[in-house]
Amino acid sequence: MTTTPAIDIDRLNVTYGDFHAVKDLSFQVEQGELYALLGTNGAGKTSTLEVVEGHRKATSGTVRVLGKDPADRRAVRPRMGIMLQESGFSPDLTVAESVRLIGKLSGRADSAERVLRVVDLTRKADTRVSQLSGGEKRRLDFATAVYGRPELVFLDEPTTGLDIQSRDALWDAVEQLREDGSTVVLTTHYLEEAQQRADRIGLMHNGTFRHEGTVAELTRTLPAAIQFSLPPGAPAPLLQAAPQADGSYQIETFDLQKDLKLLLDWAHAHSVELVGLSAAPTRLDDVFRAIDAEPVLA
Amino acid sequence: MLSIARSELIQILRNRAVLITSLIMPVAASVFFIRFRETFEQIGSLGYIGAVIVFTIAAFSLYATTVTTLAARRQDLFLKRLRSTAAGDASILTGLVLPISVLSAVQVGLILAVFAGLSDGPADVALLVVAVVATFVMMLALGLATAGITNSPEHAQVTSLPLSLGVVAVTSWVGITGTEDLTLLKRLLPGGAATELIVNAWNGGVPLTDSLPLLAPTLAWVVVAVTLALRMFRWEPRR
Repeated sequence: MTTTPAIDIDRLNVTYGDFHAVKDLSFQVEQGELYALLGTNGAGKTSTLEVVEGHRKATSGTVRVLGKDPADRRAVRPRMGIMLQESGFSPDLTVAESVRLIGKLSGRADSAERVLRVVDLTRKADTRVSQLSGGEKRRLDFATAVYGRPELVFLDEPTTGLDIQSRDALWDAVEQLREDGSTVVLTTHYLEEAQQRADRIGLMHNGTFRHEGTVAELTRTLPAAIQFSLPPGAPAPLLQAAPQADGSYQIETFDLQKDLKLLLDWAHAHSVELVGLSAAPTRLDDVFRAIDAEPVLA
Repeated sequence: MLSIARSELIQILRNRAVLITSLIMPVAASVFFIRFRETFEQIGSLGYIGAVIVFTIAAFSLYATTVTTLAARRQDLFLKRLRSTAAGDASILTGLVLPISVLSAVQVGLILAVFAGLSDGPADVALLVVAVVATFVMMLALGLATAGITNSPEHAQVTSLPLSLGVVAVTSWVGITGTEDLTLLKRLLPGGAATELIVNAWNGGVPLTDSLPLLAPTLAWVVVAVTLALRMFRWEPRR
């Protein structure tokens, strides 16, 4: 039995006048997956997300969400929860009133008390939205998105403005949803979150994917780095160690374990202390930084 | 739809600025016209007072409040939030404008009832109801259209003024001077034919066959207003 992908995008294009925001983008999100859509500002991820959420029409291409047309709200929306990038709550309604209204309109069954407990806003249930802090509004937004435990959840920069405790609590709630089988689509500026949480990452640049794959696949494309400094009077280091502007040395390697051993053996043989030694695999940040430096693929 | 309407009613009642400028002011104006009804009867007629009451409420309670609240909901991204649910556009919009439409209808019903009790009542209640409903639908649709070019609730004070003052001015002009001269112009202006219809319905003495053709420009304005609303209304703020 084949399962329908939660999201299936085929040659999506979005244009605004002359501006081509999304170019021939194709990808799938499998059921149960946590997929992170990342990109530089203006990369086209918001436009892509808006089409998938059903807020915007595609200029061309096909988009299926849970096997249906995302514009068919009645069919799709009861099965998906959306956490918008900017909350969109009325300042004159209370927290509980907002959750009840949006929850009821989602077409799912749940209780406002439960979702407010999940995001630790029970104390604020009767507070007007206008009195909430930015982080509390984000949590309210998350509460409405997970109302009724939808199969598919969109989280558009969910942790912006949240303190560490709220951030951990939010990710715990996401884990809970995933255990229940929900699919999660995430955008975030906190790359370490994507690195820790995502099964797969689509990295957008100029309206199309620059990279797509698991975190390991992505970071494999760039070398790991070993850094160290040498005390005065030490012999010249190994050839491949490139001197840096601050007097330290850096070795870029695709075989971190082997080259690190070579370096340590060399230091041992010459009785040299490697000051401030660090060795680290590539982080997603580095993949990101490398985007602009890379030539555009033909 | 009803849950949206309920939340909208709560929001209107909690927002004192909207409540005072949009709901209390038209009542105060109506009280003024009724209090000095003998003077206004001499200037125009009792039907003119009825028309001014209808249009003051339609222009301020209904139209201006619709523009202000829709602009506020869009600015707060509340409209986008509602559109992120399973609710359809038609039921969202209906839910949003339902409370203010009902409040305005109750207002006009009560005030006209008081006015009828204090003076001679309307000669043709059915015709009056038709004219009021047409006027309300027109102003409601114009409210949606105006909301499309209004960026914020503060901006609404500027964008809603030309039409709200304009239709009340047309009402006074038509209601006081009648339509013997400049007939075509007066009947084609927004609210012109509707005013004449209300005046006729209240005062009586005009055969129904003469009044009914006035429904044509009135309904034409309803069609124009609805067309404008469909073209101009926006769900999300401009970026």
